[in-house]
Amino acid sequence: MRRYIYLFINVCIASITFSCEEIIEVNLNEGDPKYVIEADLTSLSSDQVIRVTQTVPFNADVPSKPIENARVDVSNSKGEVFNFAHQGQGYYVVENLKPRENVVYNLSVNIDNELFEATSKLEDFVPIDSMGVIEERVFNESYYFVLFKFNDPVDTPNYYRYSTSVNGSPFKFSSAFSDKFNDGLYVTHQIANSDNSLAMGDSVVVRRQCVSKDVYNYWNEIQFANPGNAAPSNPKSNISNGAFGYFSVTAAKEYGIRIEVL
Amino acid sequence: MPYFLIILASLFSSVSLIAQDKTTISGYVRDAASGEVLIGAVVQIKDTQNATSTNSYGYYALQISDPNTELIVSFVGYQFLEQTINASENKRYNFELISSDNQLEEVVVSVKKQNDNVTKAQMGAFNFTMEEVKNIPVVFGERDILKTIQLLPGIGKGGEGSSNFYVRGGGADQNLILLDEATVYNAAHLLGFFSTFNSDAIKDVELYKGGIPAQYGGRISSVMDINMVDGNNKKFAAEGGLGLIASRLKLEGPIVRDKGSFMVSGRRTYADLFLKLSNDETVNQSKLYFYDLNAKVNYRFNDKNTLYASGYFGKDDLGYGDLFSFDWGNATATVRWNHIFNEKLFSNTSLIYSDFTYNVNVSNDESDFTIASKIENFNLKEDLSYYADNKNTLRFGLNLLRQKISPASLSARGESAVNSIDIESRSGVEAAAYISHEWKPSSWLSMIYGLRATDFMVQGPGTFYNYDEEGDPVGEQSFDGGVIKHYFNLEPRLSLSAILSQEHSVKASYNRIVQNLHQLTNTTSSLPTDQYVVSSINIKPQYADQAALGYFRNFNNNAYEFSMEAYYKYMGNQIDFRNGADLQANIYLEGELLYGIGRSYGLEWYLRKSKGKLNGWISYTLAKSERQFEQINDGEWFNARQDRTHDISIVGMYELSKKWSLGATFLYYTGNAITFPSGKYQVDGRTLFYYTERNGYRMPDYHRLDLSATYEPRKENKRFHSSWSFGLYNAYNRRNAYIIDFRENEQNANVTEAYKVALFGIIPSVTWNFKF
Repeated sequence: MRRYIYLFINVCIASITFSCEEIIEVNLNEGDPKYVIEADLTSLSSDQVIRVTQTVPFNADVPSKPIENARVDVSNSKGEVFNFAHQGQGYYVVENLKPRENVVYNLSVNIDNELFEATSKLEDFVPIDSMGVIEERVFNESYYFVLFKFNDPVDTPNYYRYSTSVNGSPFKFSSAFSDKFNDGLYVTHQIANSDNSLAMGDSVVVRRQCVSKDVYNYWNEIQFANPGNAAPSNPKSNISNGAFGYFSVTAAKEYGIRIEVL
Repeated sequence: MPYFLIILASLFSSVSLIAQDKTTISGYVRDAASGEVLIGAVVQIKDTQNATSTNSYGYYALQISDPNTELIVSFVGYQFLEQTINASENKRYNFELISSDNQLEEVVVSVKKQNDNVTKAQMGAFNFTMEEVKNIPVVFGERDILKTIQLLPGIGKGGEGSSNFYVRGGGADQNLILLDEATVYNAAHLLGFFSTFNSDAIKDVELYKGGIPAQYGGRISSVMDINMVDGNNKKFAAEGGLGLIASRLKLEGPIVRDKGSFMVSGRRTYADLFLKLSNDETVNQSKLYFYDLNAKVNYRFNDKNTLYASGYFGKDDLGYGDLFSFDWGNATATVRWNHIFNEKLFSNTSLIYSDFTYNVNVSNDESDFTIASKIENFNLKEDLSYYADNKNTLRFGLNLLRQKISPASLSARGESAVNSIDIESRSGVEAAAYISHEWKPSSWLSMIYGLRATDFMVQGPGTFYNYDEEGDPVGEQSFDGGVIKHYFNLEPRLSLSAILSQEHSVKASYNRIVQNLHQLTNTTSSLPTDQYVVSSINIKPQYADQAALGYFRNFNNNAYEFSMEAYYKYMGNQIDFRNGADLQANIYLEGELLYGIGRSYGLEWYLRKSKGKLNGWISYTLAKSERQFEQINDGEWFNARQDRTHDISIVGMYELSKKWSLGATFLYYTGNAITFPSGKYQVDGRTLFYYTERNGYRMPDYHRLDLSATYEPRKENKRFHSSWSFGLYNAYNRRNAYIIDFRENEQNANVTEAYKVALFGIIPSVTWNFKF
């Protein structure tokens, strides 16, 4: 809903005013560096990757600083422990962790004796009923979306997260949904890539994950971050001790489709 | 409440005792041409300091000791009147003043300027008639009283694309905006480019930023009291204008000559007509306009009874084809009955309704639903003024206000892929009683002191939740109806003036005000969809304690007014949000709120010249406004977004010739406090920004020059007048930053950059105005 309103208001403001955009220099401070942990374990394979990095100054010419001396472990409620091995550039991997339903997973990351922990449980995957492609025209521009139709389970809160890979590029987050407004209904999700630029002929792989509430909240804050926000803030992480990032263990599926003439 | 009545009764009797056995003359002061009553006109016994001024219905009462008394009646922009009266008993004298505009050119108009600003106890107040501000340049050629007010010291501008204003560091929702006593909830049209006040329909505006009198309550930072024109009761008249963006028309005339009149004024924008030219079907079916309508009638039944009815209706409508539409608007209705019990006791009874609604319609292949939200109030007021003698005036009254908020509810139609959501409405009743005594104990001292007592009653039915520290619901209580909770508050008010001479004075004021309606805004430019809440079990009334001290000085026979005020304001029970708060259709909304405190302080300078060919003013404010919340910014004080260190406005109006007059405004202010990133990181290949300190940065300083010229051809005939207004907004084309945002560089995602968006460059405008 907010999405509609913002889109519309932006279009209105743009059309009634002569707005102009220019690159400027802003003198920004350097905050104390924070650790960032990206731990997205999915049921797609038993190879799992966790990345540990650190924030960098705004003007740095690298996107983040890899942390290479962390000890990364995942344990579960069955008593199993998985020790992740550093592979370079802050990437930590294991090859034998396939998340299972009804098992609770605990993340533990130790960096220079600072401990960061989080817990996640696999949510049931909600299967789709059908998928397709739709074209929408807004002010004479065409936009393409991948459609997923499915029955949302009644009376349980469900949260969905999508990421896309276009023409073989790495997966990037595209959108997150909750069933706050359509619990238990036959629901359609409309997915584009992160910058809404799907084009005719693109080959798209969409990864659909059913995530927990805290992970949804994390991504929801990211997707609705906008320059009109009075008080931008760091999205709330489910990892302890002030680390950024998130820990998510999910059932996931990937769907490939080509954007073609309908 | 009983205590209050006792205090009232004893004050009343003591003042009555002071009142000596003198003759009281009373009556109305009106415009000679239109019969419109004049608010704040001064009736003075010649060569004395014995004076009174008319109230908002044009009524005055003055005691005279000598049956043959020479009076001077004066009002800004009018020729003053000297009249000798002969009254040995209480008697009615109505006066009519001639506007300096309607003078024959040969007659030299001498406008007697008052020194009210020096001698009156009230401080922190401004009063403008629309006439005084007509040559101030404005955006798109639309005169706008709300933008003019923002050129005064202590009033922070909302910036481009916003009708918000911030008084002495307070929030935008802390201003009580009244149109003929009715609360206007959202004073913005077109997302803030225009205000809801059509200048044709407005007579005058009074703004209080400190020492707020006891008859007002409900918002902690300011009161903006706007009066609509009553309508010409002598002859039929029409007035209007054609502009590039909007057109206006006002009709007024007598219902019964000298007894009653009507006024209707409307305005509509037509920017959307250009959309019709598009060949895209969705675009040419789109909507983008607003209109508003003001109407008022009044009728004087006899010497003692007058009835007024007035209303406002405005609507903004945005729509994109059939797919999406969004409309919002205010409506107000006021019925007032003036009754004069006797010369000394004037009563006004008001019955007021006002509301603000918005509707969003979405209709596409997947979803078909409407979101509707409404806030409304019914208000019953009884205000009495007792003019005991020339040194004592008592004002007292009662007020019963019921507010009801129906938060955004979603109703789905047919086979929609969304569920209907109904969020419980909330209501509260505020009962208030006040008394205030305006007292001039000696020639060098005058004061207004008063007390307002309010009881806010949270009303059922409803389900209320209790929350833990994290804002998660931990319990609930259901109520069927009745009063769930009382918030009882006493609000003392005081302003006093030590008159050092007729040209200078020192004033001090203190006020406490309580606010039970809170607006939840988490965007920089408030949207019509911002939600309102009333005080509840969790939300406590906001309050402010403000103290101010000022020095007032007039020069050159009152041609120049100068004032300097210092203030300190403490604000309690302020509201902010948790990070990532969900403010929409959320039954646990109150769990998203955080409560803290605020403080603001500052110095304000004001120099105004109101005589001669060149007039205008300079205002400068040096100020600070901060907030403190336990859960925000590690519990440290942080700058409020509207914290502006420096704020300067210069307004000049120059009468070049009989035909041409020029206007210019220049403004400069420190950029808003804002949160910028202090680092970056990456998650899932996406660059995110790392924020450390709330509002720790500043937007670039804002400055702008606007120019205007008005051409009034020589009046061709007596009846028809026309004029042209030319405007140049942002004359030197300054690109003031509207938004500063950060992003990945398109070529190299490892590099991040800052960019700014500016809204308006230079904008010319032309409007043709007519009057007959």
